[in-house]
Amino acid sequence: MALPRRSSGSRFTLAILLLSSITLISLDARGYEPLTNLRKAATAVVQPFRNLASTIFDPIGDAWESLSQGDSLEKENALLRDQLGELLEYRVTTEGAVEELAALRTQLELENLGGQKTVVAEVTAQSVSNFDPYIFEIGKGTQSGIREGMAVISVGGLIGRIEDPGLRSARVRLVTDPNVNIGVLVVGTNQVGILTGNGVGQPLLVADGIPVSADVEKGSILVTSGSERSPYPGGFAVGTILEVLVDEINLEKELVVAPTGQFENLEFVTVVLYQPLNSQNERSN
Amino acid sequence: MSMFRLIKALFVITLVLILQLELFSNIRFFGVMPELMLGLAIASGWHGGSSNGALTGFVCGFAVDLYLATPLGLSALSYALIGYLLGVLAEIVAEDVERIVRLIISIAAIVLGLTLFVFFGELIAEPNLYNKNFGKILVVGALYTGLFIPVLHYLMSWVFHGNTYQGSQRPINSSQLT
Repeated sequence: MALPRRSSGSRFTLAILLLSSITLISLDARGYEPLTNLRKAATAVVQPFRNLASTIFDPIGDAWESLSQGDSLEKENALLRDQLGELLEYRVTTEGAVEELAALRTQLELENLGGQKTVVAEVTAQSVSNFDPYIFEIGKGTQSGIREGMAVISVGGLIGRIEDPGLRSARVRLVTDPNVNIGVLVVGTNQVGILTGNGVGQPLLVADGIPVSADVEKGSILVTSGSERSPYPGGFAVGTILEVLVDEINLEKELVVAPTGQFENLEFVTVVLYQPLNSQNERSN
Repeated sequence: MSMFRLIKALFVITLVLILQLELFSNIRFFGVMPELMLGLAIASGWHGGSSNGALTGFVCGFAVDLYLATPLGLSALSYALIGYLLGVLAEIVAEDVERIVRLIISIAAIVLGLTLFVFFGELIAEPNLYNKNFGKILVVGALYTGLFIPVLHYLMSWVFHGNTYQGSQRPINSSQLT
């Protein structure tokens, strides 16, 4: 079979497009401001059409979810019943931990946490990528005071942080992402460690920062440390310790942590309008 | 590409983009959604030729990139390449190739497109792209997108050939018959 000859025009077009793509990638990776603005403007233009489509397609998506997750909902119900039983059993311990947390807040002068400004935002879309399940979209953005890196909480505690906020929408990066690190404090101790995600549906891990001699116990609550360089305000519950392992090589304790925040079936989340002092200073400079 | 074709192409791209973002991101099989925009790039390469395929693929990828956490241009790069390759392939294979063959080629191209996307992502050290679900995403994503390939081919045939779509890929020029 004789192969048709392709014009040099198509190769030239391809070359131009590939060069454009590479240029875009390198500029975006460096955080080139006009490109970020272009992205925000383009998404803002399409947003009304998305909102319209959302009202039409959401019932279909919900129906599919209830059909496809029927079994998992039954399992989840059974699991929740078991957990409720355990919680009732350990209520006394939990009450103690809550008192500890209150004491710790007082100790760290964090009594005004409740007064931290927050914004409640609707979850508008799940991840639109097959490769990055650690993201979802919310329907509020910089217009509501939301900024990059702000903490996002749901019932139970911290679940993520704001990424690339647009004018009226923003992405939330979940703490289950293996690339997310959070400084955490074990309630009742002075132990501060680095908590990292471990994938969807997996417990979180604290692999750094807790010395082998530290007195940390299963069931203890972890809260955000609120250290100077942390983007998160201190004192927000992140998880409870499921298991304490000893890393004999690094002489550190590894903590397997169950997140306290709700990740499934989210409809609304709360964004804490908190920015650490150093980032505020950077902005003012 | 004429202005009329450009408008039709932009209309189809916007329509499919909104469907992917608002409908199919919620309708997942085994946690995987179809890659309709990649399918559109493939169909445009098949019906529009290598040059139009690369251009439409670039626009499709760029539109998807706006909503991903990956750097702008990563999908555009992969989709432009795939659109071009399909244009080249469509010139090589017979024009009246069976639809099933076209479907298989399109599914293979989806696998290649996803692999290229992850490969380029890994080259720039983008996290989360190559993970333990990679194989599942390739297989389920390609088959799931394959379900929509005939519709996507129909749409791109409408863009590039108007209403001449009859199942074959390009209308035969009368000069070719002599």
